[in-house]
Amino acid sequence: MKPSYTLISPYLGELQWDKVPTDALLAEQLAWMDLLNVEFAEQFLEIRQGFTALSIYWKSTENQTQFQNSIHRLQVKKHELPSSVWMLPVCYDPAFGRDLGSLALIHRMTANQLIELHSSATYRLHFFGFLPGFMYLNGLSERLHTPRKAIPDRKVEEGSVAIGGSQTGIYPTESPGGWHLIGRCPLPLFDPMKSPPVWAKPGDLVRFEPIGMEEMERLLQNPIPPKVL
Amino acid sequence: MNGQSAKAILLKTGPGSSIQDMGRMGFAQFGVPSSGAMDQRSFRWVNHLLQNDENDAVLEISQPGFAIRFNSPTQIALAGAIAHMKLKGREIQRTGIISIRSGDILEIGTFHLGARIYLGISRGFQSQSVLGSKSFYKGLTEISQLSTGAELSYIPNPTPVTGHNAAARWSPDWYAKEILTAYPGPDFCLLDLQTREKIVSESFTVSNFGNRMGIQLLELLPNQVPEIATNPIFPGMVQLTSGGKLLVLLRDAQVTGGYPRILLLDEESQWSISQKKPAEQIRFRLSSTSDKAI
Repeated sequence: MKPSYTLISPYLGELQWDKVPTDALLAEQLAWMDLLNVEFAEQFLEIRQGFTALSIYWKSTENQTQFQNSIHRLQVKKHELPSSVWMLPVCYDPAFGRDLGSLALIHRMTANQLIELHSSATYRLHFFGFLPGFMYLNGLSERLHTPRKAIPDRKVEEGSVAIGGSQTGIYPTESPGGWHLIGRCPLPLFDPMKSPPVWAKPGDLVRFEPIGMEEMERLLQNPIPPKVL
Repeated sequence: MNGQSAKAILLKTGPGSSIQDMGRMGFAQFGVPSSGAMDQRSFRWVNHLLQNDENDAVLEISQPGFAIRFNSPTQIALAGAIAHMKLKGREIQRTGIISIRSGDILEIGTFHLGARIYLGISRGFQSQSVLGSKSFYKGLTEISQLSTGAELSYIPNPTPVTGHNAAARWSPDWYAKEILTAYPGPDFCLLDLQTREKIVSESFTVSNFGNRMGIQLLELLPNQVPEIATNPIFPGMVQLTSGGKLLVLLRDAQVTGGYPRILLLDEESQWSISQKKPAEQIRFRLSSTSDKAI
């Protein structure tokens, strides 16, 4: 599963895998990240991760050339993905998930069946992107894959749990958005005053736990960090 | 001198005024964009003139109809767009360093050339720093854009800057040119030959849809590229959207995206397109990395 390395600019290059995103590919990406952080830590400014690529912004052209020339002999160490699961409470009430009913209709199921499908799966966090603290999760049931809205909503509330394409995710801050809203998670997902500003890391597992209105209100008033199973 | 009490008050501003510095590096792993001044050349120039630290925070102004009052003496410097400006009600021609006395009002009117003005101040604006930067960004800094009535802190400095810097002239020639230099992006290879040819031979128009996240170009290109996985994006990358629009990503662009990344503008071209107004024309000249970096 060795990646190819593509030069983009004198400072920017990308490790690319010609594969679909899976746990195995993610473990391979994280193994390369480990290697870069140990052996090349002083030579790059930033690494950005996507589903099938790792982009590396080098401090100098020489740093990039050195990496490129040594890539064929670099050996990554196996990166084990964690098996513990972050449990995220979600209130799947139409008050928070205004598209729950229409989405259930599209997929010819009841709202309860949709909630059951969404909350019984375990999702793998691949990386953060789109907004600060937004988790790209893999593992949405194919039965829930839904094209994004033709006309995006101008305002999606903070904490909204949504489905778009083959993805599900939580909006960490209020934002415009084109995904179908099915509920809301009351926990803070990003705090710039904390280090790190997020509680999860790429490779972690995530599950959604349905909660009722009462608990939702309690958690909105007294947000607590998520539990780990 | 009472150190921290100096304030500048925005008497008038359009949308899109913000505090900016070099931006944030190293937080993309949490989904945090680069941010920072859109035109880094003008930003660096004002700090250079003022003998500031290179990362001192400046005001980025992108709309005419701006006025600011300073309540303590300081030195300011202006660069970027060329605009109609008044100090204490009197028209001023020059950009560069201006000595400010208590109560002075600076007004900015019509932009003649360029799209963003950088107002630097001695020792930088003293706003909140979040994740290593004062650059405004929604969800990070307390406010994401300045509105009328906003107060900005600075450290008073009544001593005019001396030396050769003080009289240096600002020329906008570098951003007035049409040609932008770009490297083929990581997904350029997915385009057919005809589309590649169009990109390098045709000229494109800056549309009305532009902000700190990116600028959309007016012309459409055929897009037969199948849907691709969400992967890293950077300021300067040009995406080809599913509708065939070209989107030039800039400093506040998100860190990952799902559209093909067909080009990457070199740094100077990123600063240059940040100074282009709607209806201005651009052309892409492709630069190859392979012979430079290997």
